[in-house]
Amino acid sequence: MTLRMIGVGATFATAVLAAALAVLGFTHGDVTLWLVQSQTPLLSLEAGVTWLASPFLAIIAMLATAVAFWGISRGRPIDAALVAAFAFSMLLVLIAQSVALFFLTWEVMSLTSVFLVAAHHERRGVRRAAFTYLLIAQSGALCILASLTLLAVHADDASFRSIAEHAFTLPPVLRDVAFALALIGFGSKAGAMPLHFWLPRAHPVAPANASALLSGAMLKVAIYGLFLVAFQLAAPGTTSWGVAVIIVGTVSAVVGVLYALVDHDLKRLLAYHSIENIGIILIGMGVALVARSEGNIVLAGLALTAALFHSINHGLFKALLFLGAGTVADTTGSVDLEKLGGLSSRLVWTAPLFLIGCAAITGLPPFNGFASEWLTFQALVHGISTSARIVNLVILGSLAGLALTGSLAAACFVKVYGIAFLGQARHLDPRPAVRERFDASAFSLVLLACLCTLLGIAPMLAVGPLSAIVGAVLGTAPILPATLPVLPASLVVLPIAGAAFALALGASRKVRSVPTWTCGSPVTASAQYTATAFSKPLRTIFGFILRPERQLRVDGGQSEWFPTRITYHTQSRYLVDEVARRLAASTLRLARHSRAVQSGSLRLYIAYAVVAVVIAVLVAR
Amino acid sequence: MLGLLQLIAIVALAPLIHGAMKRLRANLQGRPGPAPVQPYRDLNKLWKKEALLPTGVSAITRAAPGVSIGVALTFALALPIVSQAHVSGVVDVIALAFLLGIDRFVLALAALDTRSAFAGMAASREMAFGSLLEPALLVALLGGAALSGTANLSPLLGLPFGLASALAFAAFFLVMLAETARIPIDNQETHYELTMIHEGLVLEYSGWMLAMLQLAAQIRQLCFFVLASMLLPGGLTLWSHLPWVIAAMVAVTVVETLFAKVRLFEVPQLLGSAFILAATSVGLRILGVLV
Repeated sequence: MTLRMIGVGATFATAVLAAALAVLGFTHGDVTLWLVQSQTPLLSLEAGVTWLASPFLAIIAMLATAVAFWGISRGRPIDAALVAAFAFSMLLVLIAQSVALFFLTWEVMSLTSVFLVAAHHERRGVRRAAFTYLLIAQSGALCILASLTLLAVHADDASFRSIAEHAFTLPPVLRDVAFALALIGFGSKAGAMPLHFWLPRAHPVAPANASALLSGAMLKVAIYGLFLVAFQLAAPGTTSWGVAVIIVGTVSAVVGVLYALVDHDLKRLLAYHSIENIGIILIGMGVALVARSEGNIVLAGLALTAALFHSINHGLFKALLFLGAGTVADTTGSVDLEKLGGLSSRLVWTAPLFLIGCAAITGLPPFNGFASEWLTFQALVHGISTSARIVNLVILGSLAGLALTGSLAAACFVKVYGIAFLGQARHLDPRPAVRERFDASAFSLVLLACLCTLLGIAPMLAVGPLSAIVGAVLGTAPILPATLPVLPASLVVLPIAGAAFALALGASRKVRSVPTWTCGSPVTASAQYTATAFSKPLRTIFGFILRPERQLRVDGGQSEWFPTRITYHTQSRYLVDEVARRLAASTLRLARHSRAVQSGSLRLYIAYAVVAVVIAVLVAR
Repeated sequence: MLGLLQLIAIVALAPLIHGAMKRLRANLQGRPGPAPVQPYRDLNKLWKKEALLPTGVSAITRAAPGVSIGVALTFALALPIVSQAHVSGVVDVIALAFLLGIDRFVLALAALDTRSAFAGMAASREMAFGSLLEPALLVALLGGAALSGTANLSPLLGLPFGLASALAFAAFFLVMLAETARIPIDNQETHYELTMIHEGLVLEYSGWMLAMLQLAAQIRQLCFFVLASMLLPGGLTLWSHLPWVIAAMVAVTVVETLFAKVRLFEVPQLLGSAFILAATSVGLRILGVLV
């Protein structure tokens, strides 16, 4: 038994356990599994399964299976073992049903994930990323603890069930404070803007199987926590919560995808897309909150179903993309788009599966991303005409933002797939270009790609059970759009038939291979369009958000018109970093100014003492 | 069955509309111009020719013309002209935007696959402008949603024509100019690779593959004219709006004759104004003023 096999086995076991608990939660509703009463009611421990947790348990089950398969043939043994512990810790969070146990398991999950982020601690910047993550995770955890404690004190019991029972008697101020703390705590863990900055630093430096779980599953556990507080523990919520969540979600979605567009590190780019997708989930949640507080339970159900469905879908395609990126890193030694190219002829298994992931995250039919984004759009469209007018305008803005997000994501994944997988290899890899063989890691991608396609073509497979769960959480089953079951298929029948027709015709009719037209100059790999060039128009158009900086260096040669080497470098100044830097700078400036009073001169200090005495006497008189 | 007739009619008429626009533009510019049936001859000629493809391209490039024509045919079926029972009852505004996204995604990938820097440049521009177009397109067509709460296309027909509708039409007209690759945003007649957007995307295609792509573009163009007619005043059925298709065709041609192509980085401003017009239109409907 090697360490790898133990890790893989434990991950499989976690997956099976999570699947069993998900089924139990879905079929039986709230079941208490384990209970330890304490003398202090707030410290009692309780574990069980609930309706709300079951879709998230299902995510853990599916992703742990995929990650375990991937770990059989790729990655380091120690990572496989850590990943098993991490998956299990997430499972524990989902079955914790009292404040103390929830906080305990939450901390276990956070700390395990810090170890995963720091797995390659010898590489540059990794330790800093891990500490940034630790800091934000711990601050967030304190907010969560404060929020849950407030609610538990009001209910005078720490079990989630009795907190939920007392939720409707909460004083409004307490309710708002608890929700705000939960939004900060869970939102920062989920990567919602503006507390997202740790995510693009921490997720990419972890090993690929860990990144898949971090982005695919752990962010969803944070979303679960937010749902738990908003829809059960501090229910029913107010319109202003909903509007706040919609705004946070829309900003996260649009700005997340913009940052992804200008990033050319495949894994960091995927991490930015996680922020985007969390934004989409939050939009659905926000609409659900608005609708619920206005008594429109039907719309609330539709929006919450959309948010839950997108949580599952994002887990699937993000794991597919991160594991695919892991395979790319494993076989080429790089995740820099500018150095990759033409991978589709080499990674014959990974390339088509990765393309399915790209299409799914972009929201193209018939894959799962389309189904859940479409449902979210439906919720927004219904929301436009049902609330107060000012809220309707916010929803309209969110709708436009979501449309922008979808099309920007398309641009980003055309860049990813077109630059890295199509065309010609860009740099000379010293290793011989070996054709990929089918192994366990390719199988894990097949598994995820099949799930993405299945839930896309037959969305009712997931939406049916999810709407039942939402019905149990909100009290009324949502009414789903009647066209949902047939829509994805009717959109793609003709395009797929057309593609098959073109391929068949291409095989039978004459198609001649000729060199690419480059105005007569030789066709070289370096003349291909690059990722930096590809994102240039959008970098310019959205310059007010991205704030691009560029450095152009022209070296040597006899005259300035015939240089030997031109280096072009561009990078974005991120707004959050900028704000943090300004804050730090002004604090330091303030400190420098206040140093003037500490001159070190004895006479000055005596003068201070005299002045202080005079003031004291004047005040005391 | 009726849906099939609708499809056949749109496919059969699309090249004629394209040819008529070419003829009209030539006449407006004082040239005799080709016969309106010239596109049929061109398609026939291209269809018979062999196709040339760059060495080493992947299956995406080979399949892309078929995907493009499939998307165009689905678009044609989704228009609620004859009845609500078939595809048009299923495909709403949002699904339509995603459908057009498939076309753009696949063609841009095919362009990057050809290794040509010209095609890559066109792909980059197409995706950049496409991402600004999509919100404007969606919001311009969502007028019906503000009243009925559904994103279906047919509620658009019942809207009273007022300021909000006029703004929505103005927004849609700008989107339409971009989507059909017309001046002032793009130029179909250009022979200069650096200025091409849509033509640049399909630069490496030839022969029967190009014929498929051209027919797809012509079908899409006609479908956009039909959508535009839906935003203009008329009855509750799309039939009564169809005369506006001719007007849209003439209007686009006149715009092409009167204006020059704008600089590339002024296009975002044009598309941004389209979005603002569309958002104002829906905003007015939400607030219930000046509709």
